[in-house]
Amino acid sequence: MIEVQNLSKSYSGFRAVQNLNFHVNRGEIVGFLGPNGAGKSTTMKILAGYQPPTDGQVNVAGFDVVSQSLDVRRHIGYMPENVPLYNDMRVDEFLRFRARLKNVPKAKLKERVETVKQLCSLKDVERKIIGTLSKGYRQRVGLADAMVHDPDLLILDEPTIGLDPHQIRAVRELIKDLGKKHTIILSTHILSEVEMTCNRVLIINHGRIEASDTPANLTKLVRGGGSLRLEIKAPAADAKTKLAAVPDIEEVEVTAEGEWAQLRIFSKPGADIRDNVYQLVKKEGWDLREMARERATLEEAFVELTQD
Amino acid sequence: MAFWTLYRREAGSYFISPVAYVVFFATAIGIGSYFNFVFNYFNDFGIRQYTVLQACVNTFFFWLTLMVQVPIITMRVFSEEFKMGTIEMLLTAPVEEWEVVLSKFFGALTFFVTLWIPLLFNLVLLSTFSNPHVPIFWKPTGNTFLLVLLIGTFYVSIGVFTSVLTKNQIIAAILSFALIFLTFSISFIPFLNVTGNVRDLLGYFSALEQMDTFSKGVFDSRPVIFYLSATVFLLLLTQRLLEARRLKS
Ligand SMILES: Nc1ncnc2c1ncn2[C@@H]1O[C@H](COP(=O)(O)OP(=O)(O)O)[C@@H](O)[C@H]1O
Ligand SMILES: [Mg+2]
Repeated sequence: MIEVQNLSKSYSGFRAVQNLNFHVNRGEIVGFLGPNGAGKSTTMKILAGYQPPTDGQVNVAGFDVVSQSLDVRRHIGYMPENVPLYNDMRVDEFLRFRARLKNVPKAKLKERVETVKQLCSLKDVERKIIGTLSKGYRQRVGLADAMVHDPDLLILDEPTIGLDPHQIRAVRELIKDLGKKHTIILSTHILSEVEMTCNRVLIINHGRIEASDTPANLTKLVRGGGSLRLEIKAPAADAKTKLAAVPDIEEVEVTAEGEWAQLRIFSKPGADIRDNVYQLVKKEGWDLREMARERATLEEAFVELTQD
Repeated sequence: MAFWTLYRREAGSYFISPVAYVVFFATAIGIGSYFNFVFNYFNDFGIRQYTVLQACVNTFFFWLTLMVQVPIITMRVFSEEFKMGTIEMLLTAPVEEWEVVLSKFFGALTFFVTLWIPLLFNLVLLSTFSNPHVPIFWKPTGNTFLLVLLIGTFYVSIGVFTSVLTKNQIIAAILSFALIFLTFSISFIPFLNVTGNVRDLLGYFSALEQMDTFSKGVFDSRPVIFYLSATVFLLLLTQRLLEARRLKS
């Protein structure tokens, strides 16, 4: 659904995003996690066909964001950061306006608007002027707008920022629900946000992707003691069982099999397992090609993320 | 087509805007009182060589109204979208820049036309209730309103153009007033000691002289061409600037 290759974006010389590579498959809910200023909004504006990349290739829904921007925009629902809306329009009027703008056929217009109002619990404010709505309702109007034309892909920039905990829960539930039918990419600077909604997380910091993994693994990585990447010449399953028995190791994951097996080892918080792992490798007589810790920059990013 | 959807929103936005209502009633009351004043004056002094409409549109008061109302109705068209960030929402829908520019232009022009309906209404009232009967002189009236529409078209395009330059509405309004006044100032030059071809050329651009001609009921195609091509040029420029704003890195 999204295919990003070597994407860079500079603002008058300042590199906001550098050499991003990632892809999002149909049906995924992907979280874009990073501290303020990391480059999340910049990336999303590019995905939405609003700003062109300085460098690189970006394909969304099968179309190039630069040369086929209009096609891209037909297939996505984008909710910009801070949800800009026409404050002088009524909710209902606004949604009908947006539906027409996004080429919803006349015959289906009423039904689509009703559906999104229902989904986003906007029925009780449909006659209200948008400028008088609370932040929570505005956010939901933004969401309703993003999906009024039933797009393949939803791009949501900080969908829960500025909401109170109760509203945050409601929006998260909504996003999870939407994820059953739509592909979603959302950005946030709050760690717990992605844990609850996303299948996969891309961590971005200083304009670079630091990691891409499931929320559970990433949390383990940071909240726990980090992980170790190991590449050895050994039967993967056998190595996995033996490694799992080593003290202080919480979980072992096989990332690649074959002649050289690649494993990822998560340790308990605060424990340094490198020596134990090496002793085991030596004892078993496995050939060792690589052993590396995965942390450093990722941790930095997380320190900022969890400061909130 | 997105244009119609956008146009309806743009034109409609004036009818829910308090500022627009202020402009409308200020114009209606101002022009109405002036119309009334001229009518009484002509009556009392038995002036017959001018029509009331002719006297109304060939005064500084008329021009001032025109030059002030247009910046007020156009200042927000782009500036507000930039300030509120709604331009991002607008341009990530499948619409093209030219559709946005045209819809804003025609939306503002529609409201401009609305602003001058009260003057027409005054004429109708006059011809309906005056005793002895004062007819509507259709040809001069038609030509007058045509020129008002043409000049309005040009001024509105100036206003739309200056609005795309800044996110500050006040700056947009001041800029467009300045530009409008500058183009209008050409009308003053013939009053200086200019003669010959230069005077003829400037007379061709002079809004005062055009109005003098048109309000007599004489049609001249040159202002039509001038105002329409200037409008097209300004709108194209606006579209390019809007695009550049989005694409700049
Ligand atoms: N229009 C712009 N002009 C100049 N710099 C910008 C612009 N937009 C964003 N930036 C800079 O790019 C960096 C990334 O911004 P952004 O993508 O908004 O981050 P995030 O959404 O992750 O908080 C920031 O340092 C920001 O100051
Ligand atoms: Mg952001």
